[in-house]
Amino acid sequence: MTFILTFLLRRITQGVVIVSLVSFLIFTLLRVIPGDPVRMMLGPMATPAVMEQKAEELGLRDPITTQFGRYIENMMNGDLGESYLLGESGGAAPSAQNTGGGSVTDEQIVERTKTKSNRAKVLKLIADGLPYTMQLAGLGLLFTLLISLPLGIAGGLKPEKWQDRLAFFTGSFFISLPNFWLALVLILLISTKMNLLPAIGYKGFAYTILPAIVLAIELSPVMIRGLSVSIASNLSQGFVDGGILRGLPWSRIVWRHIIRNSSIPMLNLFGVQIGGLLLGGVFVVEYIFDFPGIGKLTIQAVLQRDFPIIQGVAIFAAAFLVFVNILVDLIATYIDRRLNY
Amino acid sequence: MTDQNKTIEQQGSSRSETMTRRMFRLALSMTGFQVGLAIFGLLVLAALILPEISSVSATKIAVRERFLPPFFFEGGSLTHLAGTDQLGRDLFLRSLIGLRNALGIGVASVVLMFLLGATLGIISGYFGGWVDTILMRITDAQLSVPIIILAITILGVTRPNVFTIIAVLVLAGWPVYARVVRSVALAERQREYVRGAKILGASDIRTMLIMIAPNILPPVAFVAVLDIARMMIFEALFGFIGIGIQPPTPTFGNIIADGTKYIINYWWIPTMPGIFLILALLSINMMGSSLERARNKIFAGMH
Repeated sequence: MTFILTFLLRRITQGVVIVSLVSFLIFTLLRVIPGDPVRMMLGPMATPAVMEQKAEELGLRDPITTQFGRYIENMMNGDLGESYLLGESGGAAPSAQNTGGGSVTDEQIVERTKTKSNRAKVLKLIADGLPYTMQLAGLGLLFTLLISLPLGIAGGLKPEKWQDRLAFFTGSFFISLPNFWLALVLILLISTKMNLLPAIGYKGFAYTILPAIVLAIELSPVMIRGLSVSIASNLSQGFVDGGILRGLPWSRIVWRHIIRNSSIPMLNLFGVQIGGLLLGGVFVVEYIFDFPGIGKLTIQAVLQRDFPIIQGVAIFAAAFLVFVNILVDLIATYIDRRLNY
Repeated sequence: MTDQNKTIEQQGSSRSETMTRRMFRLALSMTGFQVGLAIFGLLVLAALILPEISSVSATKIAVRERFLPPFFFEGGSLTHLAGTDQLGRDLFLRSLIGLRNALGIGVASVVLMFLLGATLGIISGYFGGWVDTILMRITDAQLSVPIIILAITILGVTRPNVFTIIAVLVLAGWPVYARVVRSVALAERQREYVRGAKILGASDIRTMLIMIAPNILPPVAFVAVLDIARMMIFEALFGFIGIGIQPPTPTFGNIIADGTKYIINYWWIPTMPGIFLILALLSINMMGSSLERARNKIFAGMH
């Protein structure tokens, strides 16, 4: 029990350091690179004086360290800030951008963006998107396992046989399919031409299937390769011969010994690679399928320079990856008691 | 090369051929590698030569010839093998020029991230101590930001061009190399030949550059081939989102993005460039995976 406690304490401290580093990096990056969010908020009609006033109001002219200190302070209170552009209802906050033409006075512009309360909380935006993203990621992982477990295990157990080649070529082929292109082609073939599955937007569970397939095809090559490599290397270990000598049935050797021993590297692979790939893949896939999760939120935020959302999501993603890695190491010590992290 | 041979002999290996060459020879004998190399060679030759000698232009707009399907469909012609796009530009040539850009960016970014990551990794593993701690915490932090967030954040708010794209990919990719190289360097530091060299008075830089690097880097470089394909996918993805190289320069990403509007009636506009991209990626991945397998086999002592 003390082991678990010291382990958790150490890893969580490390995790906090990592997440703070990430937030500071992203925070600085967003303020150093060009692109003025005030211009995006107020629209092209605003005069420099008004823009300056707005920037002062948002605290964008303070030194970066001051801004970061304020941000961290708010974060401790569970406040990740408010979106610059999105309104509470989910649509765009009232801003001068939507006015097609005509003369707009500075007072009107200021008036329209002043009421702070109508801007959406970043935390709420993330919380709104999270269930969708988790549903997509979960189904994607399920499909990934369905594809890669049979292929990877069969390929690892029969090196140099057709199973091995099948795993090799499927892996090479899947990893060569760019996710956005595959998404387009699947939408065209399965959704538009054959009318089998719905694709754009979200009106029910069926809308998750096609994006999840794209996600699974992106993830499975890593799993297939990792599985077949680690199973093949376990095959030449002494405990396999030992099992045969002890008269164990082959299926028992495979399931209880080889696969159990291979599950540790697979878990690590999950923590290091799949976590990152899943996050990255979800972003792109959501953007293309117009799926209302965190990924779409982020890509739109980047294209509109909505800093608070980008920061919030980056911190959230980093914290998620840290959490996954701690979880993976805990499960690994449970499967193999010899491990001591 | 001679230094490498020497170090292997110092390790007591009886074989005169270096490990790297044995891995390479083994990979070369694999079907996957041969097929990949053949496709890759053809594509690169086509990408280098055809756009220069062809009478058709990849960027000139010819409204009369727009929406021509590929040659194997009704209404297609042999002048435009892969058909034409909404402005009558030849998709075959546009894809080849896109391939040039993608390959250039892919190779350049992988070489740079390899050099940066390997340098920092060797330094980190060789010296250990606080240098190691700081470098590894930085890689931790950087590995917890998905490449795509980092990339779209930087490219979304700057003006994307070839150099910023390569810079972003290098920035996102070096930590993995630093981690791998560091872990090998850490083990290598304990080896007899390194200690021997130090006793003989070799400087740190000499030990790292001439002794350790040639021994540990080639196997890592083998796997780096796979990353070229990954970086090419990222380059295409950036173009697709609109944060890659800007039109009129054709890249896979922007051809596909432009063609998406016409996908229902003129499916070939976004599909054809995709097929070229997939062929290129497939060939690189087949070579890369074969190299990786050869490496694993040699390491496992099977050959």
